[in-house]
Amino acid sequence: MSKAQNRHRHLLLLLSVFVIATCGLIYELVAGTLASYLLGDSVTQFSTIIGVYLFSMGIGSWLSKYLDGNLLKWFIRIEILVGIVGGCSAPLLFALFEYAASFRLILYTLVSLTGILVGLEIPLLMRILENQLSFKDLVSRVFTFDYIGALLASLIFPLVLVPYLGLIRTSLFFGLMNIGVAGFLLHQFPETKPYRRSLLTAILLSSVLLIGGFVYAEQIMTYTENLTFQDKVIYSKSTSYQRIVLTASNREFRLFLNGNLQFSSADEYRYHEALVHPAMQALPNANRVLVLGGGDGLAVREILKYKTVQSVTLVDLDPGMTTLFRENELLLKLNHRSLLSPNVQIINTDAYNFVRQDTSQYDLIVVDFPDPSNYSIGKLYSTSFYQELNRLLKTGGLAVVQSTSPYIARQSFWCIRNTIAACGFQTIPYHAYIPSFGEWGYVMLLRNRHWRGDGPLPPGLRFITSKTIHDMLNFPPDMAEVPTEINKLNNQVLVHYFEDDWTPYAH
Amino acid sequence: MAGANHQTGHLLRNPEKLPLPSRSLETEVLIVGGGIAGLSARRWLWQHGLRDVLLVEMDNQTGGNSVSGQNAISAYPWGAHYLPIPDLRNRELLDFLKECHAITGFDPAGLPIYNEYYLCHDPEERLFINGHWQAGLVPEVGVPEADKQQITRFFKLIEQLKHARGSDGKDAFAIPLGNSSTDENYRKWDAVSFETYLNEQQFTSTYLRWFLEYGCKDDYGSTLENTSAWAGLHYFASRKGVAANAEPNAVLTWPEGNNFLVRQLEQQAQSPVHSNRLVFSVQENERGVQVLCYDVLNKETVSIQARKVLLATPQFITQNLLKNRVSADFQYSPWLVANLTVSGLPQGRGLPLCWDNVIYGSPSVGYVTATHQHLNIAEPQKVITVYWPLVQGPPATARQKAYETAYETWVQQLLTELETAHPGVMPYIHAVDCWIWGHGMIVPAPGFIWGESRRKAAQPINGKLFFAHSDLSGISIFEEAFYQGIRAAKEILEQNDAA
Repeated sequence: MSKAQNRHRHLLLLLSVFVIATCGLIYELVAGTLASYLLGDSVTQFSTIIGVYLFSMGIGSWLSKYLDGNLLKWFIRIEILVGIVGGCSAPLLFALFEYAASFRLILYTLVSLTGILVGLEIPLLMRILENQLSFKDLVSRVFTFDYIGALLASLIFPLVLVPYLGLIRTSLFFGLMNIGVAGFLLHQFPETKPYRRSLLTAILLSSVLLIGGFVYAEQIMTYTENLTFQDKVIYSKSTSYQRIVLTASNREFRLFLNGNLQFSSADEYRYHEALVHPAMQALPNANRVLVLGGGDGLAVREILKYKTVQSVTLVDLDPGMTTLFRENELLLKLNHRSLLSPNVQIINTDAYNFVRQDTSQYDLIVVDFPDPSNYSIGKLYSTSFYQELNRLLKTGGLAVVQSTSPYIARQSFWCIRNTIAACGFQTIPYHAYIPSFGEWGYVMLLRNRHWRGDGPLPPGLRFITSKTIHDMLNFPPDMAEVPTEINKLNNQVLVHYFEDDWTPYAH
Repeated sequence: MAGANHQTGHLLRNPEKLPLPSRSLETEVLIVGGGIAGLSARRWLWQHGLRDVLLVEMDNQTGGNSVSGQNAISAYPWGAHYLPIPDLRNRELLDFLKECHAITGFDPAGLPIYNEYYLCHDPEERLFINGHWQAGLVPEVGVPEADKQQITRFFKLIEQLKHARGSDGKDAFAIPLGNSSTDENYRKWDAVSFETYLNEQQFTSTYLRWFLEYGCKDDYGSTLENTSAWAGLHYFASRKGVAANAEPNAVLTWPEGNNFLVRQLEQQAQSPVHSNRLVFSVQENERGVQVLCYDVLNKETVSIQARKVLLATPQFITQNLLKNRVSADFQYSPWLVANLTVSGLPQGRGLPLCWDNVIYGSPSVGYVTATHQHLNIAEPQKVITVYWPLVQGPPATARQKAYETAYETWVQQLLTELETAHPGVMPYIHAVDCWIWGHGMIVPAPGFIWGESRRKAAQPINGKLFFAHSDLSGISIFEEAFYQGIRAAKEILEQNDAA
């Protein structure tokens, strides 16, 4: 072998060091970011991921001494493996997050595996080069390229890769780079001829896999959108309608539906007491109650505090939700097993269709729908809907509607109030402060009857008193009434107001 | 593939091959054809005490252009699918809508209050143009200033024409069309094509012309060149509906489209309706008219003796039933209607899915969401109805080509169409059903609306034969078919009173 050829080989191998060093650090960063993304608590996640990764690299380095024989062949094989394992790590972790119970196990297994494989790379390369360079040159050059690669990775990861490619595509892209190194060496080094064929097949197949993943990255991502939680995820499930996630910290647990906070166990009592008691205290003989939405059973818990109530009909679309709140011990403790009460009937169906078909009459109707953020939900806040409610209310009955935040979504709140008023109801708008939500609004509706806030309340309430009820009726100037149009099926103004109201808060 | 029963219809070409009558029956009035015109006449006769009426329909369901289908997700239209809220002066239509509970009452000012479940829910219309879904169908996004000025000028003109009256005091453009002014100042525009008119008025903007041609295709299945300028203006200047609880341009719609109105028309009378009956011979005799009718299911011919016969059939059928009758001036445009079951659609930039969704510059007139009026929050699947007038070449050629085109070819064309506005739509589509309308709509070609053919074809013959169909109005819309049916029913009643 001539000297020139030899130099050419060094350069190629050192270039490989540069690429694999970049890839290696990228996998580590992807795993760390992804873990804090999905599991929350980024300091802990990053720290443990880096620890496990570095330790695994140590294992890889140690294992390298057991690899003998054709070292270049070993090196190319390992490059392909790193490409597949490292490249698929992000899409795999995103897709497997569904199975939250064993997610950590999968995460750390994958991180260790990548670490071990990456740990094998440098020692192997050094051994390939050992007879061709003096030891001091070898160490100096290999580590120079290694650390330059690391610097490049750490800079492009936050600045270019995450914003433009996203985590899934980043990991797949660097997988392809590793496989590219394998292919390049296979092509450049004539001594690889005897085993070129089999390794080339492996390279092609794994490239197809990674490129496929790269193209369909969007689809993989949609499974896991909106999953950014501060706290530990203790339960997660995708039903046909939504993704339910429960997170826990030392002081509270929180329920998210499609990434939107539904309640925090620390202050939900404020929301639910304010939803139920101002109406119920005015209905001393309330017997039949209808709850629309509210599959968590928390409003029902408040309703069952009145002994006159003999029947509660709960209509919630998602059986996944009502089943969870009938079975999970933690949640049963929170809702006082309300959904297991023999007086409670659960109907899993679409609320509008239920209301149109129902012929019963109720003393109280509690309407606890999601905020009117799209046209389908907007229909549940229309004049047509409230006219159906009118038909279902007993003479002297009351209904209460969750009406979004009068502080953040001021137009929306008053639009809901004005729409209800346009259907011939008297309205009583009020609001309460719920720390995890902010100021929250409700509209009570009644027809041809009086309402006073000083009726008897059940014992043990933590928020509602006659005094609180009185205070809730006062709207300071920054939430005061604004004129709005009426929300009808054929104009859906509420959805437009809601969008307007929230735009300044969107990022 | 589905379609108006053209196989049964084509039996008419060789009536001598059908069997001799094996049964006979008698009726006072026989109505041939169960489309909107026939059903409206039947309802009118019933409500005015004439009850010995039999209606026969060739197809297995009544409705004509307003038939519908149904799958696990939703009912959906196969043709006509909406009704603009009518002019307050159209009392007969308002009364019918009241009986349908589409009008629930009137406000103190006398404006109708429409049933809000039937008024088209918001958001109503969007147009995909320059890579963006904009609200409304009049091009706006990325439209140059000069074009915008022409568009404004056109709508100013329309606003004038909406309120314009002729020298006889009648509206320049009215629905029913027959109530329009006879003033030559307006009628003269019937003689020229809409294209010629636009050239004369210097409406040259590509965007404006696209929009106007979209209107012609949507309502008439014809191009600017093949539409009378009067008819082209009528489309924009004739709708004058008002409501207590809706905008003046509001429309009524249902998942099953105008089949809702068909069922209502049918329920508002009890006289018998026989479907799968093909009338193939109509002969006047001393007792009235003898009609031979082929019962497609039982494969037998029934002879029906009627005092009077109302032919509520399109004129291309009527000419086969009566001697010495030509209807060469009556041109019909062929259509493709397709219903697709989709799990959502990949959403581009702009407004989300609406009721009516149109793609700028595309050959179809877009798609309508059949499930739009549903009230469910969660609806993982939807049905969309694509409307596609086949305007390439003369109608007869386009019709023949349409009948010969394979299902796979239509699906391919539909996918190409949707792909332009919804890249990657393929995996979202679960089912595609197609329906070919060979004679979908009467074309108001230049000179047709105010020519002689239409008037002559509507004339009763010897007090025995009467005629009703939207093609006698020259435009294929519910209001005209409804009006034609009532007009013919009134003629029959008058004839009876006189006798």
